[in-house]
Amino acid sequence: MKIRAFTAILVCKVIRGLAKLMGRGSSLPGKYALKICPDILSELKLPELSIAVTGSNGKTSTVEMIAHILKSNGLKVAYNKEGSNQIEGVVTFLIGDSTMEGRVKSDVVLLEADERYARRVFGYFHPKYFVINNLYRDQMTRNGHPEWIRSIIADAVYDDMELILNADDPLVASFGKDRDGTIYFGADRLPSDTEKHEGIYNDGKYCPICKKPMEYEYYHYNHIGKFRCTSCGFARHDTDHALTTVNDAGDHASVIIDGEYEVPVFFTGIYHCYNILAAFTASVVAGIAPWKAAESLGGYILKSGRISDFTLGKVEGRLLLSKHENSVSYDRSIDVVVNDKRKKSVMIIVDAISRKYYTSDSSWLWDINFEKFKDADLDKIILAGQYCDDLAVRFDLAGIDSSKIEVFESVQGAADFCKEKLDSFLYVITCFSDKEKILSIVTRRELA
Amino acid sequence: MNVKILYLYPDFMSLYGDNGNVRILERRLKDQGFDVEITSRTITDTDITFDDVDFVYMGSGFESNRNLVAAHLAQFKDSLVKAIDDGVPMLFTGNSYDILGDKIVISKSDDIKGLGIFDFNIIDQTEKRYTGDVVLEDEEKRQLYVGFVNRAGVPKGEGSLAFEVTKVIGNVPLTRDGVRKNNLLGISLIGPLLLKNPKIAESFVKIICERKGAEYKEISYPHSEKSHDKTKKALLNAEV
Ligand SMILES: [Zn+2]
Repeated sequence: MKIRAFTAILVCKVIRGLAKLMGRGSSLPGKYALKICPDILSELKLPELSIAVTGSNGKTSTVEMIAHILKSNGLKVAYNKEGSNQIEGVVTFLIGDSTMEGRVKSDVVLLEADERYARRVFGYFHPKYFVINNLYRDQMTRNGHPEWIRSIIADAVYDDMELILNADDPLVASFGKDRDGTIYFGADRLPSDTEKHEGIYNDGKYCPICKKPMEYEYYHYNHIGKFRCTSCGFARHDTDHALTTVNDAGDHASVIIDGEYEVPVFFTGIYHCYNILAAFTASVVAGIAPWKAAESLGGYILKSGRISDFTLGKVEGRLLLSKHENSVSYDRSIDVVVNDKRKKSVMIIVDAISRKYYTSDSSWLWDINFEKFKDADLDKIILAGQYCDDLAVRFDLAGIDSSKIEVFESVQGAADFCKEKLDSFLYVITCFSDKEKILSIVTRRELA
Repeated sequence: MNVKILYLYPDFMSLYGDNGNVRILERRLKDQGFDVEITSRTITDTDITFDDVDFVYMGSGFESNRNLVAAHLAQFKDSLVKAIDDGVPMLFTGNSYDILGDKIVISKSDDIKGLGIFDFNIIDQTEKRYTGDVVLEDEEKRQLYVGFVNRAGVPKGEGSLAFEVTKVIGNVPLTRDGVRKNNLLGISLIGPLLLKNPKIAESFVKIICERKGAEYKEISYPHSEKSHDKTKKALLNAEV
């Protein structure tokens, strides 16, 4: 082993130890290790089994579910926790789990791979399995667009990796073209499917390979569904593992995989189901018996906190966490509101688009299907935050009765209005970056 | 009175909420009392004519789509050029104006021929995405435009580019941007720039009124004005 690599490991471990003492976890140790030895990743000796997960949505929960399944089946798993899916973070957690000689001690290395960093990280080592869950329009201020991200992921795909792909997402499935041994997961036809495309834009309209029009037998949501190119023959691949049933019976919600493995779930949001299916598939491919994988998943309660119930004065409400700059996640939250048949109100908060950067770019608001609110029995629509004017123009053009719309520069102002004037159930749709602004005002009730 | 908007490639070049521009303009034209008819043409169509249209719009797309559009639209270039010469107002946003130049240079592949209406080249790259907020100065109209750029390449051909890029927050190696000829405007800003730049929306509406022989009515759009002011302030104050 090179002396530089040894020094890098030593420094990384020391800084990590100090950071831990001060109660801080960060990717700083990895940053120093990379400065000392830029190719430190290729110096590490990894276990036989390694799995990387990428996609626009659900990387963290999928990785956490896989980790849980593997751990409950007796394997020692090293994986990067939320927020450290960049190269510095990967170096930090791998060295943290390695001996001074650079041998990673766990049985499995599990990696949440940011789409843009996979290219750098996989230059040094190739995970055995690479799960690609979905490619949507997400955070385009940094990610460009889905086809751009696809090209960047393609740079990180090597011949010796085995791909585990979402068969229902054409852009993702296109990675499997002319590639033997690829594993596919997908959903069978579900009652909630539509035959017509719903949404403002359709990223499945044209074939990702030949750019000719595609046809869909059905859509699960957005461009996810059973597609077929009218020209080059590219079509949804048969699946190795499939979501066969979704039971949405109140307290006993569950999904059934491969017609026999039932997994009780907290909520049956469709892309949450895909995360479960991806985790199940990856674990089974990695050698866990399917019934054991399902059993472990069933015992696992998601800590994601996507939903919070609250009261605001006498108003009862529910926060639906979405992602700013991700129209697909907003569309799913809108579905929840629209499918609630009560009279209700909805508050949309866009105050800080990201916690990490400022941008004026609110173009993603025009990709969200707010038009669906037109036919929902809505009492009031409250638009709040720094970007309230952008929201106001967007909602004006959604064709929604303007007397229902209230616009507030501050979240506090919007909350005060609801407290005084509202007598309907209140849904709040916002992002991680803005959720505390409302949660710090309301009284939270934990979900049973 | 009827106003006809031709929306080019709405399903093929529609990456950043670009539909907003057409909808904002439609709204403003209706407020002026026009009946608005929106027709669209896309990559699978074999006929595109610019005769008899009052406004033309195209938005951003995947670079691969843009390249196909360059070849597709070339078939109808004569009609397009005639309409530009006749002063038909047109708006090309994001990377859709790339195809109006001489060529698009892409690495590891042949150049893409542009329509040659303007004298610039686009130099694409695949290493990094060029993204960031920008402020553009329109020296001729003494106005500032604000918005976001999200591109794979930048235009080279300083002399033919209309606006000075006075501020960039992010990674956008632009010093000048945008093209203008008669009533055609091409600009790198993505998405519904007519929302954040009400002056551009207003000028298009004025041109359309004038060409239609209708009297322009002064109407204020306070949310749009506020969004412009807030954005301008934030961008001008931002440290880079
Ligand atoms: Zn095809």
